[in-house]
Amino acid sequence: MRKMFNLFLVGAVVFSSMSSLALAKELSVEEIVEKANLAAYYSGDDGKSKVKMTIIDSQGRQRVREFQILRLDIQNGGEQKFYVYFNKPADVRKMVFMVWKHLGKDDDRWMYMPALDLVRRISASDKRSSFVGSHFAYEDVSGRGIDADTHQLISDEGSYYRIKSIPKVQKGNEFSYYIVTVNKQNFIPVKAEYYNEDGKLIRVIEALEILEIQGNPTVIKSQARDLERGGQTIMEFSDTKYDVGLTEEIYTERYLRRAPSEWVR
Amino acid sequence: MGEMNIKCSLVITLFIGIVLFPIMCFAQPVEFHGFIEASYGVKLSNDTTKHDAYNLLEQRFQFATNYYFEGENYLADKGAVVNFKGDFLIDEYFSGRTDFLLREANLLFTPFDFLDAKIGRQILTWGTGDYLFINDMFPKDYVSFFAGRDDEYLKKPSNAIKFSVYPQQFSVDFVVIPYFTPNTFAEGDRLSFFDSFQGEITGTDSRRQFIEPPFQMSNNQYALRVYRNFNSNEAAFYYFRGFDKNPRSYKNEAAQQLFYERIDVYGASIRGPFCSGITNVEFGYSRSRDDSQGNNRLIENSIIKIMAGYSKDLGNDLQIGFQYLYEQKLNYQNYIDNLLPGDYFWDEYRHLVTNRITKLLLNQNLTVSLFVFYSPSDKDGYIRPSVGYNASDRLNITLGADLPWGEDETTEFGQMKKNKNVFFRIRYSF
Repeated sequence: MRKMFNLFLVGAVVFSSMSSLALAKELSVEEIVEKANLAAYYSGDDGKSKVKMTIIDSQGRQRVREFQILRLDIQNGGEQKFYVYFNKPADVRKMVFMVWKHLGKDDDRWMYMPALDLVRRISASDKRSSFVGSHFAYEDVSGRGIDADTHQLISDEGSYYRIKSIPKVQKGNEFSYYIVTVNKQNFIPVKAEYYNEDGKLIRVIEALEILEIQGNPTVIKSQARDLERGGQTIMEFSDTKYDVGLTEEIYTERYLRRAPSEWVR
Repeated sequence: MGEMNIKCSLVITLFIGIVLFPIMCFAQPVEFHGFIEASYGVKLSNDTTKHDAYNLLEQRFQFATNYYFEGENYLADKGAVVNFKGDFLIDEYFSGRTDFLLREANLLFTPFDFLDAKIGRQILTWGTGDYLFINDMFPKDYVSFFAGRDDEYLKKPSNAIKFSVYPQQFSVDFVVIPYFTPNTFAEGDRLSFFDSFQGEITGTDSRRQFIEPPFQMSNNQYALRVYRNFNSNEAAFYYFRGFDKNPRSYKNEAAQQLFYERIDVYGASIRGPFCSGITNVEFGYSRSRDDSQGNNRLIENSIIKIMAGYSKDLGNDLQIGFQYLYEQKLNYQNYIDNLLPGDYFWDEYRHLVTNRITKLLLNQNLTVSLFVFYSPSDKDGYIRPSVGYNASDRLNITLGADLPWGEDETTEFGQMKKNKNVFFRIRYSF
């Protein structure tokens, strides 16, 4: 009887995992991209993290940027607000970079320069430019609108989806398409490969370490490599916490000029 | 100047004694940051200032720290933080004179959820212009600007109390400035300028005296800003009651005495995204309170200023910006009618355009930038090229030039034309 029960249990597990596989197979490419976007950029309703970027140029020279990010989702999968407080290097210490991320139009960006008590508005039409001199683009840090590209599922073998994404508007992108490898289990994009018009691989972003934090699989170490000019950046996250209770109030001029010391310092 | 130094040292001593010392003794270790910098500016033209070979030669040590109150007390409960920043300076231009410049020493806290207060010496900035100020009536250091110091030194600190109030619909900044701080402007020792008493560009021969408003209740200055966002657009209204920061009016011509006339400034600005860039428009009306009809030839007239700007990110770390500023002296006919023979007189209108181009290279470690002022009405301008390189995360090297020029000697940039320099700065940050 007991054996029978065990067999039944195994059967149930096999069956249920088969059904989830079958279910997964039924996901359209748009659904996969949407889930991947949520897994990569929208964990929790908000999140905070310390970030260390080690930028290594083609000649091996190393620069380190350390900052703290406070992220708030206005809508899941939609608008977000970011507050970035710089700790290092010394010449940018206490500077604040604030973004109101929009979909379908330019983001709003502000920069606060503490030495001058100056709040500057920054034109944000180019989301492909480098974030703080690293090999990550602004878009890699804050997410690229999923409607910016047409997506195509090119493989779902093994435990990964491979999706080819082609920009709807070519202008302003240094690549002509990119291929993202998404983990089927948790929808974390583990690799993005960027190709130029000749089909040559020019840039790779890769998740190096993933940790489950408050039930959210989280990339805590990633790497961006420039294969054309050489050089790479390692981005490491620490003290990551979700659902910490950030409010929209923080993303205003008040807290640009007066960093919220309960969150960043 | 001597009195100022004594006052200054007194403030520092008190600050260190009352605030910093107990903190250092009883609290957790405090983090210090700052930099060491050497600057050298080679002069390109001769005048009669102290030195012909250079107009900038100094070593500077800046240190800054913050202290966050912690534990069970009122200040900790109100999120209080003390900010401190000061510069030790060895100025070879004045034969190795040493100086301590206290840039920030203030207490910032939130007595109520809707109110922040910042008390003490602080840098204050608002408005939408890039190197152009209409409603920012806080003190500036134009000697630093023209001599090639870092942009940070364009802003001078004020001894002030700033209240920031945040009701639901808008935000309000209200600043009370009990101590008058004038702009630092060319006086002839380091930078030559047009001295109307001498009738020409003058250096150390200048004998002008400046009469500052004394410290008294009726000379308090007030600055107000009311602002809010409309989606991505920022709108603000400004009001200032105080004194012109430049001594533009004559107290006693025979004694070559100038003073800082009383002004009220009313203004407004908007800033927001436009044509895939950022646009700003700012307006200001400065009312000369001691000569509102413009009948007194010795006192600066009222003036209106309007500015429009546009900046855009062209991609590949290339940014451009343009601004246009229009100024008009009011009651101009009254001013002209009251002039005496031999008086220098100023034009009614001024048009000024500016252009900024910034390009970042080598993983944003190299900054190449050009800022140009050009006034078609004054026939003058000012070109500021610079190249800055971060040799490491700590070491920065900047090479630049200050090239003011003008057809006349009396205009804003024309009078600075003998101060052209090429400067070099090397800075180690920690």
